[in-house]
Amino acid sequence: MTSTQSPQTSPLPTPLPHGPLDGVKVLDLSEDIAGSFSGRLMADYGADVLKIEPPTGASLRRMGPFFGDDPHPEKSLFYLLMNLNKKGATLNLETVTGRNILRRLVPHVDVVIESYRPGYLADLGVGYEDLQKENPALIMTSITPFGQTGPYSQYKGEEVVNYAMGLIMSISGVQGKEPLKHGGFQAQYEGGLNGAASTSMALFLAGEIGKGQHIDVSITECVASSAMATQTMYPFMGGTLPRRPATGSNFGHPMPCKDGWIIVQTGGGASWADIANFFGDPQLLEPKFAEPAQRLRNTAEMDQVVLESIKERGKWDLFTKAAEARMLFGLVQTPSELLECPQLESRNFYREIEHPVIGKVKVPAVLFNLSLTPYQFLRPAPLLGQHNAEIYVDGLEYSSEDYVRLRQLNVI
Amino acid sequence: MARLPLEGIRIIDSTYVFALPYAGGLLADFGAEVIKVEGPGRPDVTRTGGYAGAFPENDLGDDWWNRPSTYNLIHRGKRSITLDMTDSRGRDYFRDLIKISDVVMENFTPRVMRSWDLDYPNMKKIKPDIIMVSNTGYGHGDGPYSSYPAQATTQEATHGHCWITGHVGEGPAKAGASFVDFLSTWTALFAIGSALRYRNKTGQGQWADLGMYQSGVMFMSEYIMDAQVNGREGGRMGNRHPYRAPQGCYPALGDDRWITLSVGDDQGWADLCQLMGKPELSKDPDFADLLSRQKNHDKIDEIIGQWTISVDRYELMHSLQGVGIPAGPVLNSKDVHYDPQFKSRGFLERVDYPKERQMGSRLFIGRPYKFSNSPLAIQGPSPTFGQHNEDILQGLLGVNGETYESLVKDAVIATVPTTGEAAPRIPQEEALQRGRLADWDPDYLQNLGLV
Repeated sequence: MTSTQSPQTSPLPTPLPHGPLDGVKVLDLSEDIAGSFSGRLMADYGADVLKIEPPTGASLRRMGPFFGDDPHPEKSLFYLLMNLNKKGATLNLETVTGRNILRRLVPHVDVVIESYRPGYLADLGVGYEDLQKENPALIMTSITPFGQTGPYSQYKGEEVVNYAMGLIMSISGVQGKEPLKHGGFQAQYEGGLNGAASTSMALFLAGEIGKGQHIDVSITECVASSAMATQTMYPFMGGTLPRRPATGSNFGHPMPCKDGWIIVQTGGGASWADIANFFGDPQLLEPKFAEPAQRLRNTAEMDQVVLESIKERGKWDLFTKAAEARMLFGLVQTPSELLECPQLESRNFYREIEHPVIGKVKVPAVLFNLSLTPYQFLRPAPLLGQHNAEIYVDGLEYSSEDYVRLRQLNVI
Repeated sequence: MARLPLEGIRIIDSTYVFALPYAGGLLADFGAEVIKVEGPGRPDVTRTGGYAGAFPENDLGDDWWNRPSTYNLIHRGKRSITLDMTDSRGRDYFRDLIKISDVVMENFTPRVMRSWDLDYPNMKKIKPDIIMVSNTGYGHGDGPYSSYPAQATTQEATHGHCWITGHVGEGPAKAGASFVDFLSTWTALFAIGSALRYRNKTGQGQWADLGMYQSGVMFMSEYIMDAQVNGREGGRMGNRHPYRAPQGCYPALGDDRWITLSVGDDQGWADLCQLMGKPELSKDPDFADLLSRQKNHDKIDEIIGQWTISVDRYELMHSLQGVGIPAGPVLNSKDVHYDPQFKSRGFLERVDYPKERQMGSRLFIGRPYKFSNSPLAIQGPSPTFGQHNEDILQGLLGVNGETYESLVKDAVIATVPTTGEAAPRIPQEEALQRGRLADWDPDYLQNLGLV
């Protein structure tokens, strides 16, 4: 195709420019959610990411949900999600040969992502200091529960522990019950997103000065960063925020309606009169509810009025009417509702992919939309060792005899 | 040789509330010159009302709009200019600023920027390689909810998180505050870092269109896949783990003190039994097997709770971690200032205000990462409202003194907001009594060494 052809007359669709990280090469050594998500985001936006796994497979391959509830290493949907758009090879870093191969790969890449216990790679002689000798512009992004330094750096993390120490649980749930974490693995996703964000900044700088650095991401600190509105209560006035009382504070929290739950907040473009009209009970116009200061004292009574007024109404009808009234309003969607969401459809959020073992599935794909270099789906997650030959024979030029030896010696 | 990544980059931050303003503060930490733009009659909501947080010593002071804690955390290290965007002069200076900037961030509803001819196609005419970042509740475009009002509190339900958050057998719940705002904060940093790199390589800018709803749903991905292929709708499991057991949050010694722990294998269970002084439980068929522990989780929780309630939470963490069991106490807004890990990493950074601000010294959340070769840090205090009007308009844009005076006179610019009021303050003792505060330490300044 020549540049004079317009897209209309071209026999082929105009190829999209590669993503904003076009040309960036990444080795992703991580076995967990956080590191893998970080690598996936970079791959989604144009980086060439190679997943390196132990010959037995990354631990994420053993984590559900699984396709058809079949706990097969190629059917972990979590592994699939976190490794979209990557190529994959196996490498045993616990062998001298495996580490030598890693050292040979490092001069060809810009970024190494890893999430091992701090010190593990250094003990093997392939820590940041070691690898930087092979490539001074190298960026290494380490994502761990508590960071590389400090008295807890060797402590083990789990989602619930990151959430507890990251302040969020202290304000979540209700008084009189144990603090509550978010469902799922939010802290791990947060670690992954912050890993990608910080790496993009280091890449920008490396492009300017030709020098890389070691980025040390703490997952617990990611969670704590989302407690921004809470933290300052103490150094500003010595206060500690509580969890909410068990009753009498429904605004801003899910409330049951006929077929599910809704959530409402004052503000937005709606006046109190609009909100009262939406719920349809004239009592809400009385000063004890209409006056903000009085409303705060009569929350329990107000909850009753509101709950009564929505008990026979459906969540989707409420959602549409609330938008017409310019209210801040939400409804609790289930995963299958999210799967069919017309708004996400309009944003082209999901992509249908074809995986050699799983087959055709729709995956949540696009974190954000970019005008010039948008998200592109290139490939599903790699099968275990899928690109070994491409990397080791074509790339590093091992002979086919040595390639077979490496397999037999459990290096790849 | 040590250099901050964004030195020499100028960013216009025409954004409100939490998500992108907080990204602006972090971009300043990365070394960018970040110019916060507010309308004289449209001060950021973190200055006013319920979003403001706390005031120094619970005292509004003379200039209350410059003093709220949330405003000060988010806007650290920025410059501040006011411009009335409903006045054509305000929009003209905004355009002039775009001409000399690298990035513009905005979070108006889609209709507003179009009506000012400041949507991306128009912005590109002003500065061809500009990087524009928009953040809205549902994203731009022609989707059915694109024009719906939105905010993180209510979106937490709509993007699915409430469905999976809550105690076993109870209704959906929320966790934290304004969760999805932060996903946009961090996504904006990723978009800007990547787009700046691309611009330096190709000379081309672009538009990053962020929808908070979409990032919230992304963090639900595994639930959506499970629903799609296995027909399973997920749901709520409190603090438990899908396959590790026991895992939970248990009462520790003291008022509202808690410890979390998570056991994933037989050795961990045996070690826990040993620590609890009940080694026989590791042989008890009700608990000895991974699957039986999952089945008898309620019973195990009771046993663990009886042990933890009389032991200090830090002692619990150290002894559990000592045998390799992931564990940690629930830390609150006070605890985090004294925890040895956070202290050792300098997570909370001290900002000293100039004397005339009457703000003293305060501690703020820094960033969740350290760079080995770039000394990332909060670059200075938040600006006062319109603090850099003169510097930017006269210094940077070359507006003459006479014109500047007329802008002041016509309230196109201002240093005192023309609308908005401070949330009424509640005395600390009353706040404690009414349950608005869980705890109050009157000696916090001494204890933090901020006197």
